[in-house]
Amino acid sequence: MYSHGADGQEQPDQAEDLRGTAERFRRTDLPLAKLWTYYYGLGGGMDEMSLDAYLHEALDVPAGQVALIAMAMTELMEGESL
Amino acid sequence: MTDHEHGAGSFSAFPQAAPAPVPTPAPDLETRLKELVLDSKDVVGFLTDLALIASSRLSSPGNRIHSGVTVMRRKRPEAVASSDVAARALDELQNGFKDGPCLTALRNGTTLLVPDLAEERRWAHYIKAAQENGVSSILAVPLNLAGEAEAVLNLYSGCSNGFTDEDISTAEAFANQAASSLRLVLRIAQLSEARNDLALAMQSRTVIDMAIGAIMAENRCSRDTAFQILTKASSSRNIKLRDVAAAVISSISGEKQIDTYFDE
Repeated sequence: MYSHGADGQEQPDQAEDLRGTAERFRRTDLPLAKLWTYYYGLGGGMDEMSLDAYLHEALDVPAGQVALIAMAMTELMEGESL
Repeated sequence: MTDHEHGAGSFSAFPQAAPAPVPTPAPDLETRLKELVLDSKDVVGFLTDLALIASSRLSSPGNRIHSGVTVMRRKRPEAVASSDVAARALDELQNGFKDGPCLTALRNGTTLLVPDLAEERRWAHYIKAAQENGVSSILAVPLNLAGEAEAVLNLYSGCSNGFTDEDISTAEAFANQAASSLRLVLRIAQLSEARNDLALAMQSRTVIDMAIGAIMAENRCSRDTAFQILTKASSSRNIKLRDVAAAVISSISGEKQIDTYFDE
């Protein structure tokens, strides 16, 4: 589990981002394991189950992690369309 | 073995003397499939071999059977392998129409026989196009992959009533055995893909973590802030995070190659 630490403050801003990323994930059929592995490679700090929970809008995560998840998805999709 | 047979690209409704099916003393199918699983380099190679075996087992003098395999991939049907170009063209044609006997068999999970295309009233557009390509009968046998994927074996004949009851049970028995081999191949492919993804992730993470550390030292900032700086640079320049990180490192130390080593 990701420890929320001191940066829980940034969260209210992220509601839209959260829905956006989760929705984007649902529209693709990217396997969760593939997304997690890529996100981990970017320096991501959550385990796969927390990522799953986040993508199902069941877990709030710090903004920095949201940015990495969104970035992982974008970079993966770029590779797909080639 | 994965090469397409040459000269097999055309249909003929007229019985021909050639090409005779190779009458090799058929090695026991199970052994053959096991070898294929071990030898195949990838899923497509394996499926191409399957199509070739299906075609040679079911063809008889004067009734050449063309075979292809369609797989559902990312919710879309895709012709992934075939015994020859004619079968490939027919599979792609059907996928283009998004409907036809093979896709129906795939959806229903049951074998579907069109004994004579001239008599068939369903899938009018596809049937017409298939007839123009010289097909007279079609047999579609789904491969039961226990939910891991969906695939169907498509068999085409230039003769009407080109599939006897015996042919149908042969094809079904074959599909049954082939399905469990295919599940094995799929699982091996998945595992090696996951392994490759992880190896790439380790490489990328090493570079990124190193750059984060460098940014922290340079800016006297927290890890989160360093990440923000790096992700911002990446999205504003539309460069992959990993490449931005590599640029940060080489700007500091001139090192271009950061390796992560594993025991392979």
